[in-house]
Amino acid sequence: MDDLEFRKRAYADPNDQTPEFLAAANATPERLRLLEQLQALNARVLAAANSVAIPEGLAAKLKTVDSNVASITPRHTGAKRYFAIAASLVVAFGLALSPGLFTARPNAADIQFHDDVIGHVRSEVARLDLTRDDVSLSHINSVLEREAGGHLRENELIKQMHIKFANGCNIARSGRGAHIVLDGTKGSISVMVVHNSPVSTTLDVNDSRFTGKIIPFGEGNLIIVGEKDEPLDTYEAMIAEAFEWSI
Amino acid sequence: MSETPVLDDIAKRKRYQIMVDALYQDVYRYAYWLCKNGALAEDLVQETFLRAWRSLDSLQNDKAAKAWLFTILRRENARLYERYRPDIVDIEDQTIADSFDNEPDQRMDRKLLHDAIESLDKDYREPLLLQVIGGFSGKEIAEILNLNNNTVMTRLFRARGKLKHVFFPDGEPDKALDEPQYE
Repeated sequence: MDDLEFRKRAYADPNDQTPEFLAAANATPERLRLLEQLQALNARVLAAANSVAIPEGLAAKLKTVDSNVASITPRHTGAKRYFAIAASLVVAFGLALSPGLFTARPNAADIQFHDDVIGHVRSEVARLDLTRDDVSLSHINSVLEREAGGHLRENELIKQMHIKFANGCNIARSGRGAHIVLDGTKGSISVMVVHNSPVSTTLDVNDSRFTGKIIPFGEGNLIIVGEKDEPLDTYEAMIAEAFEWSI
Repeated sequence: MSETPVLDDIAKRKRYQIMVDALYQDVYRYAYWLCKNGALAEDLVQETFLRAWRSLDSLQNDKAAKAWLFTILRRENARLYERYRPDIVDIEDQTIADSFDNEPDQRMDRKLLHDAIESLDKDYREPLLLQVIGGFSGKEIAEILNLNNNTVMTRLFRARGKLKHVFFPDGEPDKALDEPQYE
């Protein structure tokens, strides 16, 4: 192996263990020195690459997704991408900018709407937790059309969700809406679509018991609320992808 | 078709969980270096493992699981983020894992290396990280990246040449780096 060939191979893979490469490395002190230098560099690159912090609880989360998949086979979608990127932006810029520069803050009407929604969920949850019905998609769509002016497109994901309640409700003083309830991993999950003024920015539910979001959604708002620690992103994405406004 | 679907399901879950435990850290780190953003990387990893779960029956040999996951990950990154991701870069000290044996000099060294690796063109960075994080051979990297082996070796060679120049700036540039490489 000539010197040029040795150097190319040393740079490409300093840990090459083939006999011909090792023999070539030992042929001169200069080659050995270069190889040692490249191996040291490689060790530093490995340490740097492996120094990326792993998010806490990631393995458990991946396994949790696994247990959800068996019943609902969720998948991320364009909507999920939107939410993920939006969340990233909030993290990236929310931390970087001072509070005064961050203008996407909920206004008074948004906060009132949030409080109304949570009040409605609180008033209904005890009854809904006991409900075990299995509601058909045609019934869900009749409620959605009547109360919110939209419907869910039938697809495999929607068909596999266990939806146990769908009805029109006085969700907030600013409007009636469709209230759909399905089984989650921690309890009931409420999905509501209200045909009223969209909130000015996505709101995280702020409540001691529930987690969720209120999302400006086309002609109105999409609301999803579940018990604390319920992984709601997947449901959000599934509903957002399948829902179509009719009016 | 098995006559014991419940047992099949338990076996599949067990197999999946073993795969998660064994590989999620490498998959996350590679995802991070692909998209350079912790939140997007985590989402990408979840999408990757979700797809892996769904297609687990198609994985014939568990020894090929890592290459299989990395291939899914690259495809998902291209599908979800490469064309659409916002122009944000998550470079912050927290990205570099802290530990009690990380002396300030070591952390500085790693920060420099982080920056140097990030500054590499994607064409050079990807094969290097597949080799370093994934432990893949040139042939395996060629399969994952859908390139020929010579191209992969050339890109690895150039990637290390650039990094060596960053860390040994006073040294003579290696003449081998001036040689034309054929991809």
